[in-house]
Amino acid sequence: MPEKPAYSLAEDPQLVDLAKAGDMQAFEELVSRHRDRVYVRAYSIMRNEALAVDLSQNAWVKAWQRLEQFHGEASFPTWLSRIVTNLCLDELRRQKRARTDSIEAMEESTGPIENRMEMETLDPIEGLSREELRERIDAALAKLSDKHRTVIVLYEFEQLEYREIAEKMGTSIGTVMSRLFYARKRMASLLKETLKRDGLIE
Amino acid sequence: MNENEIQLKVQALVDGELTGPEAKEWRGRLETDAGLKELHARLTAVRGLMTGAELPRTLPESGDFHWSQISKAIEHEERQAKHLARPASGANWLLRWVLPLAGVACLMLLLTLQQTTRPDLGISLGSDHELELSIDDLDVMTFNTGDDAMSVVWLDYSLDLQQDEMDLWLD
Repeated sequence: MPEKPAYSLAEDPQLVDLAKAGDMQAFEELVSRHRDRVYVRAYSIMRNEALAVDLSQNAWVKAWQRLEQFHGEASFPTWLSRIVTNLCLDELRRQKRARTDSIEAMEESTGPIENRMEMETLDPIEGLSREELRERIDAALAKLSDKHRTVIVLYEFEQLEYREIAEKMGTSIGTVMSRLFYARKRMASLLKETLKRDGLIE
Repeated sequence: MNENEIQLKVQALVDGELTGPEAKEWRGRLETDAGLKELHARLTAVRGLMTGAELPRTLPESGDFHWSQISKAIEHEERQAKHLARPASGANWLLRWVLPLAGVACLMLLLTLQQTTRPDLGISLGSDHELELSIDDLDVMTFNTGDDAMSVVWLDYSLDLQQDEMDLWLD
């Protein structure tokens, strides 16, 4: 077993090595450091607090079970983020299966609207702090459908490539591109609306 | 290539998903097409706004509680895994295989005995006794005993037999 340091002073890779050797305290320290990040990613996709907490917990359990598979190609938080993202996608698939056909048909009918909508111009916004802008972006994200929000979260926040998103979502690269384009148009439109309402743009 | 496909190509250029000659070709098209250039600028602006825009959040439960839930779940999963991996003990083996097999054997024995056992007529039979019973016609029964050189034929007739039929039968 690696030499035990003061947990709070240890770097992630050192804690991971200790955890791999069965040290639960080292793993607890990792949870303490990265729990918010894992929760944020789950919440960004699911938009449901209770579900995001449950999925975050499940992600940590999975991480413990799969620690041997972590070889440090990506950082530990990035690896964790992938785990919770996969759990969220599984949960969305499960929810989709549970939905009625009529709701499914309704969701798919967004196609024609998609083609009519123009991409809005969004210039850098003066007089708005980064935090205020984030809040508005978050509110706009909440208004997207699951599939459009997921694709934008995976691309913009999880920083996956088209191919990786297609693999994770079980769809084609063309569909990912199309959903991403629609999601951006919708985001631009929603943001413009809210910024106009707040008098930040004309 | 339709309008939608062109838009998606411009988006791919913004996202850095086009490489080599294809990227060069589309950058060239932007220079000559004002509409495409405008779309490229709008997509770039949206992307710029979205980059790093994920709202930070704090887990809505205490760190201790969160960890206690995680550690409990890990312990539970490990117990389950150990239980599944453990070889069956002697008692488990008995419960899982021997008892059901013994049950099946008893059932088969019982069925075999039922098939070979004759109806209990309240008569104690020796080895040299023979009882014949017509199953199809319960009105006729014979009882033979070698020891006493005796044969008994029991006739049981139904009340609805006609008298003439009975006479004919007795003849």
